[in-house]
Amino acid sequence: MPKELDLLQGTLDMLILKAVSLGPLHGYGILLRIQQLAGERIEVQQGSLYPALARLEHNGSLQSEWGESENNRKAKYYRLTAAGRRQLKTETESWHRMADLIAGILKATPEEL
Amino acid sequence: MSLRSRLRSWSSAMRGRSGMENDMDAELRFHLEAYAADLRTSGLTEEEAYRKARLAFGNIEAHKQDVRQSRGLRFWDDLRADLTYTLRTLRKNPGFATIAILSLALGIGANTTIFTLANTILFDKLGVPHPDGLRLLSWTADDDKGVVHSMWGSYGPAHNHGFSSTSFSYPVYLALRTQSAGVADLFAFKPLEGNRRLTATIDGAAEVVTAELVSGNYYSVLNVKPQIGRLIANADDARAGSGPVIVISDRYWSSRFGRSHDVVGKQIALNRIPVTVIGVTPSGFTGASSVQVASDVFLPFSMQPMVAPFGRASLLEDKELWWTLVMGRLKPGVTEEQARAVIDLHLHQAVRSTMKIPAGGDVPRASLERGSQGENFAGKDQGQSVRILMGLVAFVLLLGCVNIANLLLARSATRKREISVRLALGAGRFRIIRQVLTESLLLSALGGIAGMLLGYWTRNFIPHFLSKAWDTTGIQAHFNWRVLLFSSGVSLAAGVLFGLAPAFNSARNDLNTGVKDRGIRTSQGRKSRAGQLLVILQISLSMILVTAAGLFLRTIINLAKADVGFDSSNLLLFQVQPPESRYAGAKSQRLLHEIEERVRIVPGVEGVAISSESLIAHGISNELFFIPGQPFARGEEHSSNINDVNADFFATMRIPILAGRTFNQTDAPTKNLVVVMNQAGAKKFFPGQNPLRRQLEKYDDGPVRVTIIGICKDAKYDDLRQQPPPTIYGFYRQSQEPMQMTFEVRSRELPQQLTPALRNAVRSVDKDLPLVDVRTQREQIDATTAEQRLFAALATGFGILALAIASVGVYGLMAFSVASRRNEIGIRMALGAQARQVLRMILRETGVLAIAGVAVGAAASLGCAKLLRSMLFGLTPNDPLTLGLSVAILLGAALLAGFLPARRAARIDPLEAVRHD
Repeated sequence: MPKELDLLQGTLDMLILKAVSLGPLHGYGILLRIQQLAGERIEVQQGSLYPALARLEHNGSLQSEWGESENNRKAKYYRLTAAGRRQLKTETESWHRMADLIAGILKATPEEL
Repeated sequence: MSLRSRLRSWSSAMRGRSGMENDMDAELRFHLEAYAADLRTSGLTEEEAYRKARLAFGNIEAHKQDVRQSRGLRFWDDLRADLTYTLRTLRKNPGFATIAILSLALGIGANTTIFTLANTILFDKLGVPHPDGLRLLSWTADDDKGVVHSMWGSYGPAHNHGFSSTSFSYPVYLALRTQSAGVADLFAFKPLEGNRRLTATIDGAAEVVTAELVSGNYYSVLNVKPQIGRLIANADDARAGSGPVIVISDRYWSSRFGRSHDVVGKQIALNRIPVTVIGVTPSGFTGASSVQVASDVFLPFSMQPMVAPFGRASLLEDKELWWTLVMGRLKPGVTEEQARAVIDLHLHQAVRSTMKIPAGGDVPRASLERGSQGENFAGKDQGQSVRILMGLVAFVLLLGCVNIANLLLARSATRKREISVRLALGAGRFRIIRQVLTESLLLSALGGIAGMLLGYWTRNFIPHFLSKAWDTTGIQAHFNWRVLLFSSGVSLAAGVLFGLAPAFNSARNDLNTGVKDRGIRTSQGRKSRAGQLLVILQISLSMILVTAAGLFLRTIINLAKADVGFDSSNLLLFQVQPPESRYAGAKSQRLLHEIEERVRIVPGVEGVAISSESLIAHGISNELFFIPGQPFARGEEHSSNINDVNADFFATMRIPILAGRTFNQTDAPTKNLVVVMNQAGAKKFFPGQNPLRRQLEKYDDGPVRVTIIGICKDAKYDDLRQQPPPTIYGFYRQSQEPMQMTFEVRSRELPQQLTPALRNAVRSVDKDLPLVDVRTQREQIDATTAEQRLFAALATGFGILALAIASVGVYGLMAFSVASRRNEIGIRMALGAQARQVLRMILRETGVLAIAGVAVGAAASLGCAKLLRSMLFGLTPNDPLTLGLSVAILLGAALLAGFLPARRAARIDPLEAVRHD
């Protein structure tokens, strides 16, 4: 198994929004979904997930309601709001721009200067 | 990130706090259990799975705290904890809490009371829609070359030079109104107050009422709607006599008619002219002149010639007398300067077409003043007093704040260990500062609420004090949002002010020394230095207040001792205003003479004086007099105060006749006008000569000569604080003009008991003549010094309070100092210091503090006292006696306060003190 990467600062919110955008999930489900999408190569601090969820809900990017989990337990499900969808879109775009930019810088060779 | 969703989330979290906590717990539990279940499927035992799940999750409480912070709850949780903690410590220290809250309540209460008054006097606006759109017309002209010489209304020096007035002649007003209609809607008004009040006869009973003459468009331009009935309209004001109608104010409707709706259509008589009440103005409406008090009745200008002729032909036709007040609203789209220019042009034309302009005569120039406060007499008269009072109470509040700061500082010294422990356990310095600030803000909030209640209860204390005893229509100070805003702001500022220093002091705590038992000792130097500075500040603030109290007290003592030049005891005063509709011309003199004779025989009456001006009542009449042969000229050197009196005036008032004689029966019917002059007048008009039987010339319609038949001793005229001015007394029975006279009745016993008998005597002459403004001469004089007495009372109260607070401050500081220096003092005594030396040492330290405070305070007092100059009488602001006494009082109080701790220090048993530590 490849070594697990620590989550980059500030990317947790974006990953949560992405995970929830694929369908409503409870907190633990979000954790599993992120790890699944990352091919288990990423380590999410479990506890820090919940302050992030609370923050996103506080901002109006997420909505929550209590529902039944897959094994018939009560669980709190999060859903993306319209505002959350917009936030995800802008954060994805700026992430791509930033990634391209950084990649470009890192690819630089002495000849190009 | 919408603000709305945040607020919604925060408020739902706040409201359903326990629900939110349960939700959070349930959610986290679900997470742990779900993870543990997954771990179990991979083969772990239940117990191990749980352990591992919890380990992976991290510190549950810390995460929960983060969740709360995410939802914006952290701040409130902390606040609640701080408040609970503060309340607990305050309950443990009821003495501290009481002193702190009480001194704040006094300070904020006093500030609220004064600000309520200031708010009413300085900021209140006329009770009409859009008062800010109103403009009051005024004009300015040169002092000497002006063309307006006959004026009834107020005037004063203009901003740059010359003088300005707001009175216009009625014909000029009419011209302005029609010609300037393009730029402004102008209307006219004129309050009839004081001597100009009207006599209203309602259901056979006569009383005096204040009135306001108003133009036909007055209510429509002001945009005021009637409460019941209708208001005065243009048709009522079309031509002289066309509108025998009146509108009454809400206040008069309540006080005189019990708010009965039958009042509309009621017939009453004003100065014996029958008029019909047509409506009532709304309750907040006070007319266009005053913001504070509404006139009793409003009547159209068209009724002036009948109801209020004032001995002349119709004032509506009079081109010489300037008396009408003009206000207006600018037309939409017209700028201030455009309107002024147009009105100025028309004023110029109107003056030229109505008056003779001598060569070089200066035609008035129009200007527009703010009209939202009417004539704003209250603001002009009492603005200065209110500002001084504001300054005085600001010092009181400041002193209260310093006091609390000192108490908090002393407390923070004793709480040093506790705070050190909290710092050691990981509390941030900001958290500590916040906690201490929460405490001071809670104190200031409690003090502020108490102060606001105090201010609310006492809001009418000062207006009541300043109003005349015999006049019930004083200013009503009222609470509004501006007062609440001010008091809350002051409380908040006070809390921050006295809380900040102790807060930072606490946070600066040194962990190491703080936790150790003897923490207090090691940093005592810095602590007590802050305490010393605060005590010096307290002493100097007290010095300022004590000095102010001394100045005001000496002022009222001087006023009480002031020689008025007549005997003011046992004199009862009342006014008689014979309506001209019945007593035209000289008929009023016959009426007054008849009343004089009737009053003289009332049992208990020793003498009856009559005068056209009441003495010491801030009323002045003056005229120009010339040595026969001198050319006519305007100027102060020809002016003398005048007073028309009866023959017994000098005997009754006990003003000695020094030479010649007083008036007698033989003077009455003749046309040879005779006068009595006071010494100041003799010195002014006949320096170094005998004025007896000399003549002076004055101008009525043409030159008139008066013969001086007597010289009387100087007596004060309008104001207690002025030297007796040159005064020329005329004989009222020689006047041909209708008069409003004051009767001064001297009695053997308490003069008030005479009132019913006097009322009967007057009624037996004319049953419709009311006695107006019945008061004693002493009350009359007191009314003119009410301001000084109010200042003296308040300043003395504040000064005593300040002295007490400063003494407590000195005592507290020195007691603390002695207690923490027990050891040192013990060693000194063990090494041979005598008890007396220790006593002297502590007293010397107290003295140094006191001298520093007094020195700073004396310098500050000298600076502040200059502002009081206009309020003082018989002494200068830097009066050495007052200053010396204040210094002595403060030094004495400080040494007294320091004596108790000093004695305690002197009684320390050296053995015990040294062993103690």
